[in-house]
Amino acid sequence: MTVGAWICLLSPLAGALLITLAGTRISRRTAGYLSTGSVAVAFGGAITSFIGLLGKNGEERDHVSTAWTWLSGGSYRSGFEILVDPLSVMMMLIVSGVGFLIVAYSIGYMDGDKEERRYFAYMALFVFSMLLLVQGGNFLLLLAGWGMVGLSSYLLIGFWHERPSAIAGAKKAFVMNAIGDATMALAFFLIILYTGTLSFDHVFNIVQNGDSGISNSTPINLIALGLLGGAVAKSAQLPLQTWLPDAMEGPTPVSALIHAATMVTAGVYLIVRTHVIFEAAPKVEELAAGLGAGTLLLAGLIALVQTDIKRVIAYSTMSQIGYMFLGVGLGAYANGMFHLMTHAFFKALLFMAAGLVIHALHGEQDIRRMGGLRTLMPRTYLAFLVGGLALVGIFPFSGFFSKDSILAAAMDHGWYGYVLWVAGLAGAFLTGIYTARLFFLVFWGEPSAFVQEHFHKPKRDVVGISLAAPVAALAVLAAIAGWIQFAPLWHPIETWLQTVAEPLVSPAGWQEAVSSVLAVVLGAAGIGVAWLLYGARTRRVPRLAFAQRTLEHKFWFDELYDALFYRPSIRIARGLGRFVENPLIFGSGRELGQETRALGGLLGRAQTGLLRTYALAIASSVAVLALVFVVVR
Amino acid sequence: MTTLLIVVPLAAALVLWLLPLDRVSAAALALLAALAEVGLWIQLLIRFDWNERGLQFEQRRSWFSDLHVSYHVGVYAFSVWLIGLAVVVMAATIAYAVWVGRERARMYFGLMLFLTGAIVGVFAAQDLLLFYAFFEAMLIPLYVLVGVWGGPARMGATLKFVIYTMAGSLLMLASVIVYGLSQGTFDLVDIGASSSDWVFLGFVAAFAIKAPLFPFHGWLRDAYTESSPEVAAVLSGVVSKAAAYGFLRIAIAKFPGPTEDFRTPILVLAAVGLVYGSLLAFRAPDLRGVIAYSSLAQMGLITLGLFAANDLGFDGSVLQMVNHGLISATLFLLAGMVERRATTGELGRLGGMARGRPLLATVLMTTGIIALAVPFSTAFAGEFLILAGVFQQGWGWAVVGAAAIVLAAMYILRVISAVLHREPGTAVTDAALDLRPAELGIVVPLVACLLALSAWPAAISGHAFSRDEATRSVSQEFR
Repeated sequence: MTVGAWICLLSPLAGALLITLAGTRISRRTAGYLSTGSVAVAFGGAITSFIGLLGKNGEERDHVSTAWTWLSGGSYRSGFEILVDPLSVMMMLIVSGVGFLIVAYSIGYMDGDKEERRYFAYMALFVFSMLLLVQGGNFLLLLAGWGMVGLSSYLLIGFWHERPSAIAGAKKAFVMNAIGDATMALAFFLIILYTGTLSFDHVFNIVQNGDSGISNSTPINLIALGLLGGAVAKSAQLPLQTWLPDAMEGPTPVSALIHAATMVTAGVYLIVRTHVIFEAAPKVEELAAGLGAGTLLLAGLIALVQTDIKRVIAYSTMSQIGYMFLGVGLGAYANGMFHLMTHAFFKALLFMAAGLVIHALHGEQDIRRMGGLRTLMPRTYLAFLVGGLALVGIFPFSGFFSKDSILAAAMDHGWYGYVLWVAGLAGAFLTGIYTARLFFLVFWGEPSAFVQEHFHKPKRDVVGISLAAPVAALAVLAAIAGWIQFAPLWHPIETWLQTVAEPLVSPAGWQEAVSSVLAVVLGAAGIGVAWLLYGARTRRVPRLAFAQRTLEHKFWFDELYDALFYRPSIRIARGLGRFVENPLIFGSGRELGQETRALGGLLGRAQTGLLRTYALAIASSVAVLALVFVVVR
Repeated sequence: MTTLLIVVPLAAALVLWLLPLDRVSAAALALLAALAEVGLWIQLLIRFDWNERGLQFEQRRSWFSDLHVSYHVGVYAFSVWLIGLAVVVMAATIAYAVWVGRERARMYFGLMLFLTGAIVGVFAAQDLLLFYAFFEAMLIPLYVLVGVWGGPARMGATLKFVIYTMAGSLLMLASVIVYGLSQGTFDLVDIGASSSDWVFLGFVAAFAIKAPLFPFHGWLRDAYTESSPEVAAVLSGVVSKAAAYGFLRIAIAKFPGPTEDFRTPILVLAAVGLVYGSLLAFRAPDLRGVIAYSSLAQMGLITLGLFAANDLGFDGSVLQMVNHGLISATLFLLAGMVERRATTGELGRLGGMARGRPLLATVLMTTGIIALAVPFSTAFAGEFLILAGVFQQGWGWAVVGAAAIVLAAMYILRVISAVLHREPGTAVTDAALDLRPAELGIVVPLVACLLALSAWPAAISGHAFSRDEATRSVSQEFR
């Protein structure tokens, strides 16, 4: 069981190393197969672990396997170790399973790119990083995976490194994530200060028992805040959300990987994994839920005006992760994780279907130039429809089951819960509008002039199969995977995760029913609005200049951070250079040099200043020595 | 064993200077001696007993018995790692000089080998006067190496370097003499702890200049940008560690009272240097300027860890000394390789070198990623321990440190994109080839060391002081 988990972790790393070391000795296609194969092996390992855990009782499903002591300092130690428990196995299955489909799809999507080998090495590295994050058996390895995920995203977003916008987007993602890494590291320093360890079990025990003062309000709140900082950075939630849309500069499968299987879900995983700490700091946990609610509204609004097919989907991700934060922030851990799973399916599906559209239109991503693709790409149209309906949460597609149970959980959390509940319902309405808008603009109507000119059909070769098969598989999953858990009738995921994270809320049957009905009605209403505006086009899109501008500028977060942090730090750096470094420190040396040289010149110009100075220095050292002898004696 | 490590490079240097060897055999002899030194160090590493406390491979000969001055050398656990850093980096830099083909080969390689012996001597000396002698012997070849083989503005750079370091050396010499005479012995192991603030400050000033620590870094930029890349690699990779070593072995171990009293001002200087260096690295216009200022920042970080004066800080600092030594040496050598291809290190004229140069891109990217301390790298491990350690002296230090790590990400990413990404710069032509096999042979071992350490940073952090009790080692065995 732990062997399977180790194989799951190390196989993608081996794939990445193999491709890097082989270099041009293997063909580009082989690199693709190697990468896909290594992730497939990882999925196999994850299944082995899953079966292994299934055979055990609830209490025994918690294994730590240590390979060696990775870092030690004084009495503090952290091993290179993995944790195999229901939560990590669930994440392993999602990451390697969906990851496998995305890497397989890449074989077709990246076909013909000059640097395919590098791409596939990075993809395998990305999957490894995410697996390290979810399997890491202590806080330090969690952070290691955390940072590696940030690194892999940097490498892949900036994959087309000749494009300045791609490099800028990659750097932004990395720096934003580094801020999250830093706040997490600070939280870990506090944990070390109070407990002397970073092992999950020990820390959680100490927090629960209230030993050593760690559970006092200041330290525990700061620790939870530091963790939350990491979570919002990685999951692109308020206030560190600005990197996500720029991350669309990478190839489309990368977007699918970042948004569906890896990276952005990490924050949700972190909160569930460390829920003991968040429960000891209930205010911070509620803050997480509030940030999630804020983000889901903000992202839903911005998505209304985006014109790039990938960016609309990107904002929908931010919004859906907002739901997950809302859920886990209120203690509905299983519901949040359930939504994470269904979201992985339908979001990967949407991105990959969008990739097919982009591919068929020679790289065009602007939805205003698309239209009428329904007749030209009927299968892609169907796949997108399934993904869209799952995203909006229409019965019986998967999003319905997972999103509505999060909303129901919100009703069981006092007045604060009701506020979040209303936000979530409003978000469902927005989801309906922007999803349907995208759908109608791309697929409905008559084929636009641009489409007629540029459309070309993919061939039915390896490339075509590699593109189509994963999309079909995900379409099936996005359609039916929701039936796994139908609260309150059956809830295997909740049972599965019970030993790791006991839920704090248990909504009643009527709350489930009310939420489900309202969410579906509002989502359908959103679709209806979009139909009037973009499908049937019987109504004009209302013109609200200020609102439109605000949304197009993404609520001016980029401009704000630019003015608050980036520009001042540039200015400080310039100022330090101009007013401190050059005149005081750099210049002082220069003048010192000139004066000494002048002095040396006085003593004799026979040789270079260098030797003179040295002689002078030796002479003065003798003088100092003599002085010292006099003083000491 | 220890003496052998010191003598082999010195003897090779003498041979080079005395025998009329031609260019090729001089280079071959130098390379051979440097590699033999690495082999000797591996012997030392294998034979060192990590469970034993205190000094090992000790050798002692009385020199001036009435003053209790002796030739006394030996290694502690953490000095094993620093000696290792020194011999590995020196071997790589000598190999680079061979590849480039420096003028006046006998003189040049003789100086490099002499420098190697002196640095190993600094890390092994257990007598104050001997330590001082090696410290000075280390500086003299550097003056010549910068002054004769440097760039166009080398004279100014050398002069500044000489003045700064001479000032530091004088202060140190005065401190050494006062301290030794007042204690009645110069033996570093036997000599008792002192509480004299002035003597302490003399040592601290000398080491702060050599490290350098803000604001004593006036010599840094010229020395690092005007000297040849391999000399810059030695300066920032190894020679700066001699200062950090001095902080630990003498200032902190022998002056517990003053260390306590002056902790806050020193931590302030270190923290300011960390942020200041990071900010200036972010605006530096050329490749080597960025590495130079990042070196200033990193020395600030190491000093933070040392003066945290607890187990985590000490272990982390030793790990980070080795990390930074390997990283900055690799970066300077890579900068040299880039400059040879583009004839300039100006970031504004570079760019697009990743296209068609996969080896250069891979090596530079890997080193850069480790340099910005991405979690899971050995540099991250070192910084994590240092900041966890200094956190226990006050939360603010670690907050500043964490902010500086974000800045480090910004300036390293800036360099990586400026060299590798976007459209090719004006100085980058198709004549700029990918790394040659010989160049790979020089930098890949360094990168391999970094990757190996990333897999197991505890190799150093868990084996830097006897039985993981750094504070106890520093306060008892070193006194």
